Amino acid sequence: MKNSRKRSILLVLLVLFFLSGVGFLAFELYMNAANWALKPFNSHLSLNSLANAGKIFDRNSVILAESANSKRIYNKDDQIRKALFHTVGDENFNVATSIQSKFRDQLFGYNFFMGVDSPEFLREHHDITLNVDSRLCKTAFAKFSSHKGAIACYNYKTGELLCMVSMPTYDIENPPNFKKNTDGQYDGIFMNKAMSSSYTPGSVFKIVTAMSALEDLPDATTKKFTCNGTEIINGQPITCMGNHGSIGLRDGLRYSCNIVLGNFAVALGKERMEKNTKKLGFGENVIMDSMEVKSSSYELSSKSKDAIAWSGIGQDNVLLNPIHMLTIVGSIANDGVAVMPKLIKEVTGGFLHRKFNDNTQKKSERRYMSSETAQILTEMLSYTIKNSRISSLFSGLDVCAKTGTAEVGAGKKPHAWVAGFSKNKKTPFAFVAVVENSGFGGEHAAPIAAAVLREMCAA
Amino acid sequence: MQYLVETLLFFARILLPLVSFIIVFRSFRSLRNSRREKVPLISLYNKILRKSVPVMFWENSIGRSKSSDIILQDPTVSRDHAVIFRREKGWLVADTGSRLGVLVNGEKIKEPTSLYLDDVVTIGGNTLTVKRKESFGDGFDNSSLSADSVKRKKRKFSQKSLLFFVNIFHLILAFEIYLSGFRKTKGHEIVRDFKDIFDSEKFLWCLSSFFVVFVMSWFFFLITVIFTKRQNFELESIGIFLSGIGILLVGAEGIEQVYTQIASFAIGFFVFYFLIWLIKDLERAVKLRLAIGLVAVFLFIINLVFAKEYNGAKNWIFLGPISLQPSELIKIAFVFVGASTLDKLQTAKNLSAFIAFSAFCIACLFLMRDFGSACVFFVAFLIASFMRSGSIRTIILSCSAAAMGAFIVLKFKPYVAERFSVWRHVFEHAQEAGYQQSRALSYSASGGLFGVGAGNGALKNIFAGTSDLMFPVVIEELGLLVAIFVAITFGMIALFARSCSERSRSTFYSIASCTAGAIIAFQACLHIFGSTDILPLTGVTLPFLSLGGSSLVSVWGRAAGVYKGVGRQDLSFKK
Repeated sequence: MKNSRKRSILLVLLVLFFLSGVGFLAFELYMNAANWALKPFNSHLSLNSLANAGKIFDRNSVILAESANSKRIYNKDDQIRKALFHTVGDENFNVATSIQSKFRDQLFGYNFFMGVDSPEFLREHHDITLNVDSRLCKTAFAKFSSHKGAIACYNYKTGELLCMVSMPTYDIENPPNFKKNTDGQYDGIFMNKAMSSSYTPGSVFKIVTAMSALEDLPDATTKKFTCNGTEIINGQPITCMGNHGSIGLRDGLRYSCNIVLGNFAVALGKERMEKNTKKLGFGENVIMDSMEVKSSSYELSSKSKDAIAWSGIGQDNVLLNPIHMLTIVGSIANDGVAVMPKLIKEVTGGFLHRKFNDNTQKKSERRYMSSETAQILTEMLSYTIKNSRISSLFSGLDVCAKTGTAEVGAGKKPHAWVAGFSKNKKTPFAFVAVVENSGFGGEHAAPIAAAVLREMCAA
Repeated sequence: MQYLVETLLFFARILLPLVSFIIVFRSFRSLRNSRREKVPLISLYNKILRKSVPVMFWENSIGRSKSSDIILQDPTVSRDHAVIFRREKGWLVADTGSRLGVLVNGEKIKEPTSLYLDDVVTIGGNTLTVKRKESFGDGFDNSSLSADSVKRKKRKFSQKSLLFFVNIFHLILAFEIYLSGFRKTKGHEIVRDFKDIFDSEKFLWCLSSFFVVFVMSWFFFLITVIFTKRQNFELESIGIFLSGIGILLVGAEGIEQVYTQIASFAIGFFVFYFLIWLIKDLERAVKLRLAIGLVAVFLFIINLVFAKEYNGAKNWIFLGPISLQPSELIKIAFVFVGASTLDKLQTAKNLSAFIAFSAFCIACLFLMRDFGSACVFFVAFLIASFMRSGSIRTIILSCSAAAMGAFIVLKFKPYVAERFSVWRHVFEHAQEAGYQQSRALSYSASGGLFGVGAGNGALKNIFAGTSDLMFPVVIEELGLLVAIFVAITFGMIALFARSCSERSRSTFYSIASCTAGAIIAFQACLHIFGSTDILPLTGVTLPFLSLGGSSLVSVWGRAAGVYKGVGRQDLSFKK
């Protein structure tokens, strides 16, 4: 009998294993409860989750969303509602990267102790104040008219995201009938294109190629190539809009010469292009207030030189995310250091709650390029705008920028791009705009960005 | 009215963990108190050493080996020389394959021989005279009867109050469920409509569910106290506590299965008493072992031939309106087949018959694609075989065999491998293979520490919610605190099994009780960790709570296994 007593110790081990597992479960639940509870499929939430939730303000304390009488109500101005739809989000988690989806626990007042069904007097609704300026967003929205695309502007010193608009959008208080999507006008309506999509960049990518050349080729500023409108690389023709003759990097950017930038990419080669794009954060997600932004990618269709040449001018398989591009132009303006954008200014209210926003107060920075490269690029981009047809758009704003017209094939009009910044120390703003299937960047993207920038600088 | 009800419900939610804490604490305390006092039963007087040796257990091994209950340091004594044990007819001694044999009053014995007072047992060079325990004098013989009876009365009282707290818990639960019925959603708002608060079917329903559980619990308590004169009711109380939660939570929706559940609860309880009666007589139990084993094998074969596939596992038999899972009933059988008395353990040391039986069971479960149960059987096998042999080698060998088996299964059964692939990534596959677990976690988190309130849960509407996801259902509706107490009770059942094993009348009961405890605890383990993505989901039920007739009957059967054969303290000689 002594033996069986001794041997039954196995049972004690089993119980210990079991109880430690239960402890682990409780721990896991404590750590992840908010995240797990606030899943879109949780039917406790879709019922009434925002009925008594906290408010959302813009940077000027304009109410973007609030709850009253067990209903969620939004800004009175329908244009502001539309412009900020993707930022604020809806009640049913349709916009995955919106505040009302990602920070529902804060708004809702979820707490681990009482779960989702805590009585009203124990709830801790947090109010969330955003960095965006609703007026700027409204301006941008009005300028987009019926086009699809995205615009994002931020302060490259502090990281405050001042304007973010994604098109198409709709008025959350008067939703259209999505079933009548005959022309595809509602396609991608729930996607925040600034955060969650990536486009063929076209000529705005030349900024990246130029940065790469300046970092790795000692003779980048003096080297010249000859542009005859077409050049055969590896048996494939690379075409240019003009016939620029003997031309270097600075004028190559100014005239947006495909031959120069294509040749620079070839001269750098695949490895160095990949190294430098990686340094700029391609293939990684920019993290904006714990939300992941879709990553840009620099992947080539083949190892051949023509593919490298096309990639150097933002074609081939290169894809660029607008917010990521914003950090790149921001880093050029900020002496080579990219400040990651912040959508949330502060979260207020609540006393027992674990604060998620500790890290949002911190500025997250990363060096993208050397200070010298940033200075040379700033000068080149300033020169580009001063001598372009659209210089009048940005007059008086000290703008350094590059437009892009990205061919997307399949008989569709190209995407229009613009990316740049104001180098004036009083107006440290960077901007990126992309207008889908519209035409030339200077014609379609730049006016939107210019209008927003002008209003931003005037404030 | 609305405000009053909300406040009441709020307090009910806070009260539930408190009451469950009291239940757990009380049963833990009485479990500690019920430990056997270390009092010798009889004594053996060693003439040569002029010393009395106490006989502490109902079965005692005698030998040179250090692990013997009575150690005789003498080269003429074999390692495991003999066993002296107590049966209904009195004390016996058996030779367990010793070199020099055992002599009783000078005659060499061939089979177990009765011992009477002042008989002389010769073991090797030692002669031991059988004496009463009193011969120890004051040092040992101090178990005063009066103190004992006071303690007994106290125990009886604490048993009653434990059951009383269980009833309170169920009453609060029924109350919550009743009020949850008036919860309606108006757009985004939750309102309660109390128009027909008294003539509601729900009222009757909740009250009657509670009432049935209440009446049955006291009925069984009285049976236990009056007829079996047993003083402990902790295990039954825990069982009633858990089964009651299951019945009430499932019944919240008023679904028909609750009839099955209540009926199974009653049947389970009768099976419990029947089994306790059946194996009370050790000799009968030992004889039945072979028959039970054969029935188990037979059931498995029937299952393999006739079972229909349901939810990917082929383990259901449909007999007209009755459907049952034979593998659940075989779990009871397994408990007995593994057990053995000490004298048998000492003589026949090889495990091959038991290994063959276990391998057969596990192989059948594999064929039935019931991998969760296969794991449960495997752990039961480990415990039982270790209890029998004490050989760590057997455990290591079995585990490596199991690992190989698992590898083969993963290789050839993509259906199982799929579960492994989503393991710890359920949210990435929330619409496919991780559907159940992701809901389980999400709704568990919705519950917080105090739950969303009984009857308000959404998880039980998910596929297999009330069986495979019962533990998360408890977290969701009653909160993490109650769920943790529920989990602890499963640990306590296992520890209780262990404490029974120490007091039992034979290693037969010790082994059976530990095996039964291990099966219940390990099944709870698999269920709780599988449903919450700590382990891959195996789809086993939560003992006592989960919806399922066979499983509820079976778990009460196994609980009987935990319980039996606790010995009386005062043993006089039959002359």
